[in-house]
Amino acid sequence: MKLTKNIFAVFAASLFTVLLITPITSISNLLWLSSVDMPITLWSSFEVILFDFQRLGMPLFVVFTIAFILAFSVAGLISKYTNYGGKYLYALAGAVAIGFALILMVELLFQTQLLGGNRSLTGKILHWVAGFCGGYFFYNLFSVDRTYTFIVRFFGIFYAYLLLGFVLNWIFTPAIAAAEFGFILDQLSDDAQNALLRDFTSFFVATFLFSILGAITLNPTWFFSAGVIYYGAAIFNLTAIYVHGTPYNKIYIGEIILGTLPTLLALTILYKNRTQKKHE
Amino acid sequence: MSLRIFLSLFFLSNVFASYKYETILEDLDDAWSFVFLDEETILYTELPGNLKIVNLVDKTITDISNPPVVHYASQGGLSEVILDPKFELNRKIYLSYSAKDKNNKSTLFLSSAELIDNSLKNIKVIFEANAPRRTSVHLGAKIAFMKDGTLLLNSGDGFDHREKAQYLDNHFGKIIRINSDGSIPKDNPFINVEGALPEIYSYGHRNMQGLVITSSGDVYEHEHGPKGGDEMNLIEPSLNYGWPAITYGIDYSGAVISPFTEKEGMEQPLLHWTPSIAPSDMVYYEQDSYPELTNTFLVTALVSKDVKKVRFNNNTNYQESLFSELNQRLRNIEVSPGGIIYLLTDGPGGKLIKVLPEER
Repeated sequence: MKLTKNIFAVFAASLFTVLLITPITSISNLLWLSSVDMPITLWSSFEVILFDFQRLGMPLFVVFTIAFILAFSVAGLISKYTNYGGKYLYALAGAVAIGFALILMVELLFQTQLLGGNRSLTGKILHWVAGFCGGYFFYNLFSVDRTYTFIVRFFGIFYAYLLLGFVLNWIFTPAIAAAEFGFILDQLSDDAQNALLRDFTSFFVATFLFSILGAITLNPTWFFSAGVIYYGAAIFNLTAIYVHGTPYNKIYIGEIILGTLPTLLALTILYKNRTQKKHE
Repeated sequence: MSLRIFLSLFFLSNVFASYKYETILEDLDDAWSFVFLDEETILYTELPGNLKIVNLVDKTITDISNPPVVHYASQGGLSEVILDPKFELNRKIYLSYSAKDKNNKSTLFLSSAELIDNSLKNIKVIFEANAPRRTSVHLGAKIAFMKDGTLLLNSGDGFDHREKAQYLDNHFGKIIRINSDGSIPKDNPFINVEGALPEIYSYGHRNMQGLVITSSGDVYEHEHGPKGGDEMNLIEPSLNYGWPAITYGIDYSGAVISPFTEKEGMEQPLLHWTPSIAPSDMVYYEQDSYPELTNTFLVTALVSKDVKKVRFNNNTNYQESLFSELNQRLRNIEVSPGGIIYLLTDGPGGKLIKVLPEER
């Protein structure tokens, strides 16, 4: 359980660091756009920051997780075999991990600076500070005894993070979102456009919120609700193919996956609740 | 009704168009561009710094000695070669390439030279871009002669320097216009603008790799977008083409470059490709060896591995994919004096492929 808990503490610290780091690129970009008189508003800023958190954040999450696993393992060894240790050691490890990860991404992989926010010295310092906070967050997660709810909550939030991409696309760039589902938005009638946008947006926003609420309250009903919706989508996708004769597609596989994760979370909560009651 | 007739003819003309191919050369070392000296001879560049002449009939390859020293790394090296309009008389050619500047940074150079006895003589650097970069990427590097005898050169945004494409005090993301001796034409649009570099013809570009001047003198350019947002533009002097303030693409990292796709004072592309096709070169085909291609733009693409045939009609673009059966990343396209299309494939082990219209 301890090892599992530590792994999920790394995942959580990584996601937390992504949350801190992606706005650095967003804001540096928004500041430049504003400097050339582009009409930046609160709404467009909100759009950029959220999109960056989701789309830029995904690959960074993978990179940071690898960097953190290495850095926190070294910090753990130092802590075990020396007198040094504690939250600041892990915080420092986090800062070093992010610093090295960003340098190596340039030197070994791309030879160019893909992270716009990391091009200036200020940006670099802010990234290191974010890594420091990530390490500190990790220490706080793994140094306290935690139950299975920590892992359930992480999965619930990560599931919502995955869905956030759909949510943002349907809210901010509906034509692109519609195209991904095979619709050419401006070729639909006004009524059809309205129906498509409201129903799809509602579908993804609802499941996103169900997952967030499930993670916060640990009430399995929220997770079941998300699961039912995606399983329903998979079942009626297959119905459309085999009963109504629409062309075959593999989208139902994704829908089953998206339905399975919250369902498993809900079942875990139910099982744990029942076990606890038996012990009582 | 006329639209229906047009569409019918458009599709009918292409139903019967199929092509045969002949591989002329293989195992080329990062070949980047070529130009016809005559119907049977081409001059071509390889990014590592090689300039070669090929006889297309007996396929003999001859190295040209004394090419400029280039900085061959990443996307940089010996790039474009073109002939002077009076090449038959003066034997002058023009070469674009990346090389180190005095501060040991990589930047774009344009040199002229005389091609005499398989050697370059009187090499003269006629332009050095004020666009120093650590990594040799996004150079642009296409060259073309305008109808008035001046030279246009694409100077890309250098990737890490994209914002500089909006400022006139540097050559990142600019189309450059100079005379063939390197002097600056007196009618350049920013020649009297304080703080602006006088060679700039247009700005707000990304990584431009297609540059065509039609027989009517119009200048067309295309450029790589980031993830999405490849553009084709009609170039006019002094205009701002918007990169990176407006774009139809997002960054490779997934980050938003700009939430805006248009703004007053910034030009809209004639068309944009989203998702990206990675356009690499372009010709405007004005001969008649392939009647279905006459008066169309032919755009080679690296990612979609085809040639996009593009035609404009009343602000609408019509596109068709050609040569996709080759399934090759296409780097360059040229038309021989006799109207035959040749394609160059990308990367190490590249090929030069001749396209023959099938007997009809």
